[in-house]
Order: sequence, then structure tokens, then C-alpha cells
Amino acid sequence: MTAEIAASGRPLAHIGLRHLARHPWQTVLMIVGIMLGVAVMVAIDLANAAAGRAFDLSTEAIAGRATHQIIGGPAGLDEALYVRLRVEAGVRPAAPIVAAYVTSPQLGNRPIQLLGVDPFAEAPFRSYLFAADAPRGGLAAGIAPGQEDPTAGLVAFLTEPGALLISEELARGHGLAVGDRLTLNVNGRLATGRLVGLLQGADALSRRALEGLILADIATAQELTGQIGRLDHIDLILPEGDTTAVARIASLLPADAQIVQAAARAGAVEQMTAAFRINLTALSLLALVVGMFLIYNSMTFSVVQRRPLFGTLRCLGVTRAEIAAMVLVEALAVGLIGSALGLGLGLILGQGAVRLVTQTINDLYFVVTVRGAVVAAESLIKGAAIGVAATIASAALPAWEAASSPPRQTLIRSSIEDRARRAVPLTAAAAAAGFVLGAALLAIPPRAFAALAGQGAGNPPPAVSLTVSFAGIFFVTIAFALLAPAATLALMAGLRPITGRLFGVLGRLAPRNVAAALSRTAVAVAALMVAVSVTIGVGLMITSFRTTVVAWLGQTLWGDIYISAPGPTATRSAAPLDPQVEQIARSWPGVVRVDVLRSADVGSPAGRIAVAAVSDRDLTLPRIFVSTDGGRAAAAEAVRRGAVLASEPLANRLGLPAHGATITLYTDRGPQAFPVAGIYRDYSSSEGVVMMQLDLYRRYWDDPAITAVALKLAPGNDVDAVVAALRARLAELPAGAAVLVRPNAALRNEALAVFDRAFAITAALQLLAALVAFVGVLSALLSLQLERGRELGVLRAVGLTVAQLRGAVLLETGLMGLVAGLLAVPTGVTLALVLIYVINRRSFGWTLEFYAEPTVFLQAMALAVGAALLAGVYPALRMGRMLAAEALRGE
Amino acid sequence: MANDGHEPLADPDFIRLVGLSKSYQEGERRRVVLDNVSAGFGRGEFVAFLGRSGSGKSTLLNLVSGIDRPDAGQVWIGDQELTAMSERERTLFRRHQIGFIFQFFNLIPTLTVLENVTLPLELGGTAPKAARAAAEPLLEAVGLLDRARTYPDRLSGGEQQRVAIARALAHDPLIVLADEPTGNLDEESGRAVLALLDRLTRQAGKSLLLVTHSVEAAAYADRVFRLHEARLVPQEARRDG
Repeated sequence: MTAEIAASGRPLAHIGLRHLARHPWQTVLMIVGIMLGVAVMVAIDLANAAAGRAFDLSTEAIAGRATHQIIGGPAGLDEALYVRLRVEAGVRPAAPIVAAYVTSPQLGNRPIQLLGVDPFAEAPFRSYLFAADAPRGGLAAGIAPGQEDPTAGLVAFLTEPGALLISEELARGHGLAVGDRLTLNVNGRLATGRLVGLLQGADALSRRALEGLILADIATAQELTGQIGRLDHIDLILPEGDTTAVARIASLLPADAQIVQAAARAGAVEQMTAAFRINLTALSLLALVVGMFLIYNSMTFSVVQRRPLFGTLRCLGVTRAEIAAMVLVEALAVGLIGSALGLGLGLILGQGAVRLVTQTINDLYFVVTVRGAVVAAESLIKGAAIGVAATIASAALPAWEAASSPPRQTLIRSSIEDRARRAVPLTAAAAAAGFVLGAALLAIPPRAFAALAGQGAGNPPPAVSLTVSFAGIFFVTIAFALLAPAATLALMAGLRPITGRLFGVLGRLAPRNVAAALSRTAVAVAALMVAVSVTIGVGLMITSFRTTVVAWLGQTLWGDIYISAPGPTATRSAAPLDPQVEQIARSWPGVVRVDVLRSADVGSPAGRIAVAAVSDRDLTLPRIFVSTDGGRAAAAEAVRRGAVLASEPLANRLGLPAHGATITLYTDRGPQAFPVAGIYRDYSSSEGVVMMQLDLYRRYWDDPAITAVALKLAPGNDVDAVVAALRARLAELPAGAAVLVRPNAALRNEALAVFDRAFAITAALQLLAALVAFVGVLSALLSLQLERGRELGVLRAVGLTVAQLRGAVLLETGLMGLVAGLLAVPTGVTLALVLIYVINRRSFGWTLEFYAEPTVFLQAMALAVGAALLAGVYPALRMGRMLAAEALRGE
Repeated sequence: MANDGHEPLADPDFIRLVGLSKSYQEGERRRVVLDNVSAGFGRGEFVAFLGRSGSGKSTLLNLVSGIDRPDAGQVWIGDQELTAMSERERTLFRRHQIGFIFQFFNLIPTLTVLENVTLPLELGGTAPKAARAAAEPLLEAVGLLDRARTYPDRLSGGEQQRVAIARALAHDPLIVLADEPTGNLDEESGRAVLALLDRLTRQAGKSLLLVTHSVEAAAYADRVFRLHEARLVPQEARRDG
């Protein structure tokens, strides 16, 4: 029997593939659907992979083979500690590191890592200076050949003030050569260095790592960054699992220093962006899902069109399995072509996506150096496999539908429609099941996954939680789509009297026709509905987010003018300001209030935590609280007595209870548990912030620096004039020219610009998904109307004018658009609510206020009806041109 | 080969219907289409079934081909009981042993005339080359060899039905079932198609069961039955083909 089936494959595949060739538009639309889906997915995957790799490389570049690190507070470590550990306590291998982000006009002004190292301690950790397999070996081997005397470069590196090394590729890319001067901007301080040699990576990986690096001797780096006598951290290599060694070193450390695992430090940062990247992947999958809808749609149509053919084949002895296989072979052909084209397009889109993703990561998280998407075979294989699998999966139902074609000589259309009508309660029941399943998936608390993954508090919810949430969204959306047949029937019945009164007999006919061809119209309505609801959902989420952020900025940014030092990322600056800035601000005429902020990253058992220490007398005042211990007044009192406030994302990340929580931070006086007086709304960072009084901070950390100054002016002062005058005054300070003096409005606009940049890729993906959906709907309506040629021919034969005929076609497609638009509203609102209250909370830990922007609904309704009408234009024109006799003969 | 009623058939009960009953639900009531029908048809015999629209003629063909299952009774073809087979076994039986001719021709529009005829052979596992070699004489017999590379939509109705006849005989089936084969043709084309069908099936020694509402078409048959009130009523054959 199996042999018989195998033998039948060839002629059947022949029939199927020739059907594709004979319906080029249908085929092209299917290919375009899968191509766009695969392209978006591959592009995002390449971008994520590029960002991930860049992150790994920069981690590798800095951490090297270190297993542990000794870290200090915001001011780093005293270099004497290194000497004591290495010389007196014999802790080896150990390497001191000074690290800072700098920019240089000669290197394109992008943030780049300045790494200060001790060449004599480096060998076990990093290979830039010591390429082990290089032929000449030794100290100079990492320095590029071609230089007259490589050792001369190294000697200069050790002895010459301001001596720097960069990679050969980086130098070539910016037209630099040995001996050239580099101006470095270190947190607004300008310093000059000189290239004394070029580094050559031993392999492609280290060459890429070197592209984001400027190497300096430790003393040079200290000088350039103004951190004389301070270290960023000390790298160690300890035997795996040697807890005794860790304990011994810990006992040698002063209170302000901790020993941590190098991987844990990198892992914590990597996890911060995990949610961001999963969201992007989910959005890219959305394009694929819409593409699948398109395939499903087109395949269903081609199956419905060919029911008589399948009936004939069944009479000729073709089995159900063979019919299903025939349809799946067609899908496979489409999937292969679409995926192949999608890979090509994905590579092109990937270049743009890399830029957007890197920009957002740099804005929101940390600095990564990515020069472009590297073509990862893994991404391509994954894209092709998912593309083909998605095509086959979306063709499975139509294939089953085709296989269930009864082997009858004559197939009566009405029986198909009867079946479609009988299936309405069934699809409604499936919709109910979809709602229950989706809601159940969304209701699973993230902590359940954390428990499953064996993670304790202090970690962001694992990726599986977000993935399950997106699966929940998927089921809810599909459930709404399954309501399309019932909604179409109900609305058509309801609209018939209205359209009848408005358009006469044609107005009565159009809703009846839409309802009568339910097997086809419902699929088109469902596809359009999904596309429009995604537009509503994502649109409402973004406007809600923006409105929440605007309100939050309004409440939080009380100052008229803000002064800060430029930092490597847009949303944070830990770079200290010249202490004189505060004095100048306080004595400035017209200033009625000055508060200062110190923001710093400090250690904690849960990794690095951002601390914002402010000099406000009552720092609870401008906050919007999620919860407080005993009300706002009690929280303010607790803060005055030494309690801290936690931002909502931090509280979610650490799993802090609403009441009675404490946060342990590594202070210069040793680990200290701070009571948490309240949890407040904050959208500045998804990692979270601990807020405390400045004097409390200074009590526990020996860090007198300030990061920003906020000024309130007396009424009647011209803010812009004060800003200009302050800028001029501050420019007189050393490195003062780079200090940022911004009026409230500018700061607010910058915050919103970062916000808009972060959503640029979301909007782009949404647009692509909508495009794919539109193509799908267009193809569905087109085939539907073209298929009805005979019916319309009959209408022409009984005396319908061309104009009336065109009107009838457009009325029908318009009605379908209306149903899709109406159904898209509850679907879109549900999507938005889930995105706002589940996905955003689980991804970034913040709660947004839902804001139903009316224009979003109007746009969506216009999109639905407009798309449907547009899709009806071509069939209407074509039908109008077709002669009645021709249409009737068409059968 | 023609059995004009004078020569006894070699196997008079080659196709055996035993107590066949079939009814359909129509709204609230059940409509009985076949009621305890029993009959036998010989190998190589040409049998016509007359009846009004909706009398159950097509249902009878569907039961004989295994497309549909009876509510009660058995269908035997040779020593094989069709009604005891699974859906899949019936499909494969149909593939090898039955040739179908439809009122609306039902040629595959994406296949050429030749490919339509070779289709049943290839479905049965014949190599494409051998299938073509077997199909060409048949196309010649129906007078369409010169149109072998043409697609069906380029042919007239009569020509399409001639291709369908060639297709029905291509895989050398035991039985040919024809459902109103002239129903969609003009008088002249209809006559030509019937004559061709009669000639070719008799030449090949196939049993031919023809469903028609045309007395003229039934006149080609060895035996004629009328389906009346869900029963088979034998009619006097008026073989003049």
C-alpha cells in the first residue's frame, strides 16, 4: 500500500505545482507573505546575535579569563589593595584594571572602552599583548608586524605618558597610524594620547573584541580618567570551586571591597537585555504569524477553489492522505522559495535592525560596539527552518480540508456553505477554549517559572515566563479570530435592513452575499481583524506608555534647569561633576532651590544596583508610589531616619514585598541592610534604582562626588537666559565646556526621544506585520470576488449596470472591512491590556496607565474599511469590464 | 464481444448487489433512495439505469464504486465484498478496478490531454514512459491523439468527454461507471460519445454501468433498469446502438 502511495506522488505533485504556476498572483502573494515573515525574523535574530556577540566580546575583552573579580564602591578600589594582595598575600594570578568609556573625534565619536592594564600581570588574563601561538612569542608578539621595531612600541607603551594601543583594523578604519595623536573625551574631560603601536588579534574573535578597545598602561589610564591611585577592579583566576581561596581572599579585603564571580557580573548585565531581546523576537515572530495567516488564507482559498478537482481525484482512487500530501507539497514549494528569498531580504534588513537594536541597548542598558550584522549561519538555518515549518503548519488545516473533500461527481456549493454554517457554533466553542487557555497561560505568575528554573529572588523572570506570556497572547488573538464567522453572520443580519434602506436591492443583497459565502468571507475577515487588532494593541500600548512617561516626567522633573556631565549612555551618567558646579549654582542670582544628585552603581548580593542619592529634604514628594510602609508621611519620615525607596522595576526584579522589605548593599562600611520605606514608579531604567538621601549615602560611601544638579528659579526669571549664562560661566572651569546645562523642556524632550527611539523598531515591525496582513487580505478578497464571476455575470445578465455592479462589489468588501474593524476593537484593547499589564511588567517591571487614545480606534477602523475597499477596487473594475456572456460561460 | 442477449454471459453475477438500502436525512424526514435492492450484472455487460432526477441513480453508482456506503446490504465485485472494505481499501480498489466518466467531464485543468489520460496509470504506479505508451493508442481510438499536448479548456465538450472515456479505460479497469455522460453535450456529440463508449468498452470486455435519463442513451445497453420508488425495475432492452 505504501508503495502505491509513493508511486502516486509524482503525478499529484505535478498537478499541485502546476496549479501554483497557473495562479501566479496567488502564488506570489503566498511567497511574499512567507518571505517578509522570514526576513523580519532573520533580521531581528541577526541584530540580537550581533548585540549579544558584541556584549560577549566586550565582556571577554575586559574580563578575559578571569574567574573572579574584586570590586569596590562607586569610587573603585585603592591600588594599594592590589599591591598588598599580590605582594604581601601572594594572591596570583591577579591583574589590576582601570576601565572607562571614552569617545574620540579621531575614532568617530562613538563610545569605546579604555582599558588600563599592567602588562606584566596581563599574560594569564588577556592575549592582546601576548599572542601565545604567535611565532615570535613574548611580550611584543601581539603588536602588529610591519612596524620597524615592535619592541620599541611596547617600551613606549610602558614608559611614554599618554601612550595608547588600538587594533590594526580600528586604526585602518579611521585612517590612523602609529605616532598619531588621539583626543579622548573622558566624561567631559579632554585628554590627549598618542598611538605607540597597533595590536593584532590572534583570531577573528579577538580582532572583533579589539575593535571596541583602547589599551593603555594602568598609570596612563589613571591619568587620562583622573582616577589617580584608583582601580576599577582586580581580576583573579582561582581554581574552579575553590571556596577556601575565595574565603581567604575575602578575609583580606577591606569593608568597601568584595570578591565576586566574573561570570555572575557579566550574567547580570546580560539578563537585563534578555527581556528586551525576547520582546523583539516576539514581535518578529508576529510578522511570521501574520505571514502564516496569509499562507493559511491563500491555501484555504486554493483548496476551496479546487474542491471539484479533489472530488474528481477521490473518484479516480486518490486517497485522503495523498490529497493532503499534494497540498503540503505545494506549501513546501512555496515555503522553500519564500524562505530563500526571506533569508536574502533578512540579511539586508539585518543591517538596519542592528543599528536600531544597538542604539536602544546603548540608550537603555550599556555600551556595546557593533559595526554591522555578522552573517551567522545559525540565524540563517533557523530562519529557513522556521519559514518552511511555518508554511507547512499553516497549510496543515487546508490540507486536511482538501483531504476531506468527498469523492462526488458534482459538488454543490451550498453544501460547503452549509458545512461552514454548521461549523459556526464549533468555532465559537473553539474560541471559548482559546480564551480560557490564553488567560490561563497569562495568569501563571512569573515566580512560578523562576521556581521551576531553580532561581531565587534577585533575578529577572526567566525567558520562559515571557515566552509563555506571548503564547497566551497568541491563543487569545486566535480565539478572537475564531469569533469571525459568528460575528460576520450576526452583523450581516443586523446590517441588512440598514443597507437595504440605503442602497435598495443591492444593499439587501450585499450582506446576504457576505453571509452566504461564509466559508471564504470569514477567513478574510479574520485575517484583516488580526492585522488591525495588532495595530490597535501596539498603538494603544505605545500611546499609554508615552502618556504615562510624560505624566511621570512632569511630576518627577521639578527643576527648571539640570546640570550634568556627559555619560556614555543616554539615560545615565555616573560621571562626576566638578565640585565647583554646585557652588556656582547655589550662588547664582534668581535661584531659589538647588538639589544635587549622586548616581552610582554599588555592589549587592544580587549584583550591581544603581543608587540615586538626592539632597531633597523630602525625596518622597515628587514620587508616584506603588506602595508605602504606612502611607506617604510615614515613608517620608522613615527616609529621613535612614530608609531608602526602591523603584518598581527593582522591587519586581528582587521580588521585594510591598511592606517590611530591606535591601542589602555593599557599602564602604561593609554590607548594610537598608529598610525600604516605599516602592515608587520609575521609567528611567528597567534594572531599577535605589533612592536615598544624599547624607545617608555619604555616611556609608566615601564618595563626595555629585552627578547632577537641579535648579529652581524664582518666578519671572528667563530660563533660557539663565541657561546661556550658566553655560558661559561653567565653560571657564577645567573640562567645563562639556558640562551639559539643560532646561527642563530639553531634558524632557531628550527622555522622550530615547523613548521614541526605543519604540522605533517596534513601530517598524508593526508596520511590516500590517503590510503582510494587508497583502493577505488583498489576496483573499481578490480571489473571493474573482471566483464569483459567474454570479456577477448573472446579475449583469438580468440588467445590473456596470456602475451598480462595481458598487455591489465594493459594498460587500466594505462590509467585510467593517466587521473586521469592529471585531478588531475588543481584540486590540485586549492585546493592549495584556501588553501593558502582563508583558511590560514581566519584561521591564513597570506598570503603565492604560490610556485609550480615541484616534487609535479611528485609524484602525479607517485601516480596516480602507484596506477592504482598496482590495475590492481591482475586482470591481475587472468585473465591470467583463461581459455578462463571458462571465456566464466561465463556468 | 457484444452481448446482444443471445449469448450467455461468462460470469452473470460479476457485480452483485445484495439487499442494498440507502436513505438520506432531509430536514425532519428521511428520504429512502434505495430500498432492499438486489441485482447481478455480468462481466462485459452494458447496463443502463434510467430514472428521473433524484431517483437514486447516482447513489447507485456511488455505492458500486465504493464512494458511498449503504445503510444495509452488500456490494460484491467478483469475489471481493466492497462493503466490507475500509475507506482506504475502497479508494485503492477504485484506483485499480474502476473507470469513471462524469457529466461535467471533470478533466484536470492543469494537465494536458495526454497527462489526463496517463493519470490513472501513474497513480497505479506505472512509469511515465510506459503510461504514455499505453495512453496514446487510446487517444488515437478516441480521435484526439493530435490534441495530446492541448489543455482541456481548449477542447469542445464532446472532445473533453472523449478524453474522459480514454482516461476511464487507460488503467484497464474491471468496470466503467458513466454518470450522465451525454448530459452536458449536444445531440450529435452525445450520440458520438455513446457510440465510442459502447465500442471501446465492448472491445476491451469491460462491464459498463451507465446512469442516464435519456431513453435514447439507454438503447445502447444490453439490459436496462428503471429506478422507481427506490427499487430497480427491469425494462425491456431496445439495443439499437
